[in-house]
Amino acid sequence: MKLELKNIEKAFGEKKVLKGVSLIAEGGRAFGLLGRNGAGKTTTIRILMDVFPADSGEILFDGKPIDYNNVQFGYLPEERGLYPKKKILDQLVYFAELKGMNRSEAVSAVEYWLERLGMSEYKNKRLDTLSKGNQQKIQLVTAVAHNPEIVILDEPFSGLDPVNAMLLKDVVKEIIANGKIVLFSSHQMNYIEEFCDSIAILNGGQMVLAGELNQIKRNYPRNRLVVKSEQKQKIYDMYKGNCQNGENDSLIITLDNPDDKKKAMQKLTESFDIDEIKVYEPSLNDIFVEYAGNQA
Amino acid sequence: MKQFGKILKYELKNFFEDKVFVGVTLFLVVVIAGVMFVPRVLDSIDVSEEDTVSDDREVMLIVADSEENSKALSEVFAEVFNNYEVKAGDSDIEAVKKQITSGEAECAFVLKDLTSYTYYVNNLSMYDDNKAIAEELLTNAYRTNAFMQNGLTSDEVTEILSTPVSGDVENLGKDQMQNFFYTYIMIFALYMVILLYGQMVATNVATEKSSRAMELLITSAKPTSMMFGKVLASCIAGFIQLVAIFGTSLLFYNLNKDFWGENPIVNSVFGMPVELFVSMLIFFLLGFLIYAFMYGAVGSTVSKLEDINTAVMPITMLFVFAFMVVMFSMASGNVDNLLMKVCSFIPFTSPMAMFTRIAMSTVPLYEIVISIVILVVSVIGIGVVAAKIYRVGVLLYGTTPKIGTILKAVLKA
Repeated sequence: MKLELKNIEKAFGEKKVLKGVSLIAEGGRAFGLLGRNGAGKTTTIRILMDVFPADSGEILFDGKPIDYNNVQFGYLPEERGLYPKKKILDQLVYFAELKGMNRSEAVSAVEYWLERLGMSEYKNKRLDTLSKGNQQKIQLVTAVAHNPEIVILDEPFSGLDPVNAMLLKDVVKEIIANGKIVLFSSHQMNYIEEFCDSIAILNGGQMVLAGELNQIKRNYPRNRLVVKSEQKQKIYDMYKGNCQNGENDSLIITLDNPDDKKKAMQKLTESFDIDEIKVYEPSLNDIFVEYAGNQA
Repeated sequence: MKQFGKILKYELKNFFEDKVFVGVTLFLVVVIAGVMFVPRVLDSIDVSEEDTVSDDREVMLIVADSEENSKALSEVFAEVFNNYEVKAGDSDIEAVKKQITSGEAECAFVLKDLTSYTYYVNNLSMYDDNKAIAEELLTNAYRTNAFMQNGLTSDEVTEILSTPVSGDVENLGKDQMQNFFYTYIMIFALYMVILLYGQMVATNVATEKSSRAMELLITSAKPTSMMFGKVLASCIAGFIQLVAIFGTSLLFYNLNKDFWGENPIVNSVFGMPVELFVSMLIFFLLGFLIYAFMYGAVGSTVSKLEDINTAVMPITMLFVFAFMVVMFSMASGNVDNLLMKVCSFIPFTSPMAMFTRIAMSTVPLYEIVISIVILVVSVIGIGVVAAKIYRVGVLLYGTTPKIGTILKAVLKA
């Protein structure tokens, strides 16, 4: 399965919200859609799900224009919300039915997922009697119960405790392993790094960076070293001007030439008591700040 | 289509699982069933109480120029005022007044002669017709006296005074008096149902939006299916509620038919002609739909439930205007005035105006057909526009957008 967005443009009135967004997401892999608030992520998702049409551009599924009658989407919106006063089982079955399942299929799928998420005991309760985290787990069922080809998860981990986050991670991994296309949108970069093989960063409605996450990281000049040592101050004095403080009490040394890495590492380990030394790879957070920091 | 069916089913289920909806319907059904039994109950109470009732009667005092006349007149009054214990009163007016204010007597007639009197009463009721009855009695007494003084016998006088006039009415159109009650009831039912259910549709849409269930709904179903599903579900629920209420009243009326006797209001309501009932159903349905679509569309433009009332105000005002025009025209007795004629072709007012004209006057068939055609076309048009507004409106959060903004967005969609 392959989903492609090609040069999508959208304007609301005078305001151009998307200025040529393109991306490729494949089955069995997770795709991270990143961007600051107002960058155009939700608009992209809504166009992808046919809530409203794009002004121009095309959406292809397996190389052909997408047919919404044959491709099912599962969506966990960032703004969570179901019917607070309705019985959980009833509304989950209703949503699964709206997605094309018949009643018995819907009931068994919903019951499977409630069981899987440890929520079976609540199925006959009203939604508003549940805690926020549990409501979120219920909401997740609406995104996966109808076995969709494409699953869009917008900030899936926000508001979850570590145990529930772990449970959700397992579920997401299972969905990816089942060959589905998973589209992730989140500001929690650690989760994106954990799940997503490829990412795209939106800034002011434009795609400013897209590709394989590993490749993106590799493409950064590998001329920096991360050093942890008890003799931090001495090292700092030695590399004055090319040295700055990093995370977790480390130092980042920038070399003039990437080829000097080996020599510099050798010199450092010989001269000082080194706890840890490695080539610096930018975190997704750094990449994000660099590309999305000054929103257009 | 499949989606529409599922939405309709779910929305209907919501109505029938709603405790308030079911409770109100049952309450009304029970009340109406009760009301229909009232004459039967009253009848049985009347029979059992007939023997004991005399002692509880209020006292009416009659005071004339002499004690003798007071006594004679109080006997005459007693024949007419069955529900009073009529006594000859004291000639001292102050004593009479005291008796009344203390509650010993209910009222008093103090007569100077047969043509002039003062009526004393503690609290003059809105429905007090004692004066009118007394005047008729006194007039008759005066006339009888006068005739007899001129040589006629008492029998001759009675015959002259009670000669009946016979006349027949041949109504070639509608009897407004007879149709007034059921037209009034139906218009009122239509008014209540549209306002209640319209508000319900608007609130329903706004609730989905404010609880953000809309985010999921809008990506799961077509806005047209959602809009039409909701409106039709509320239409069916409203119809079932009305059938339950009117069905109950019809059933219990038939059970107690003998006890209602010749009550003109009740008989006119249950004697509604079939063709009028059919035209009522048509206008009811179309009127309901046109307003429900508008309420639904407006509901989709607000983000907070608190804003609903302000947002639906223009629609409610329009509807209240239509209601007022109809009510005033009905009260004036001329339902074919120019305003009513115009209103019976405007889709927002025609459900009430045209129905009233059909019920209370004679309307040419072509006018009815034109009115219905305009209404049907408008329902479809407004349904489509409402679905478009809905589609745009549900995604607009923040302050309620201006009409211009919505229209622009709708034109683009």
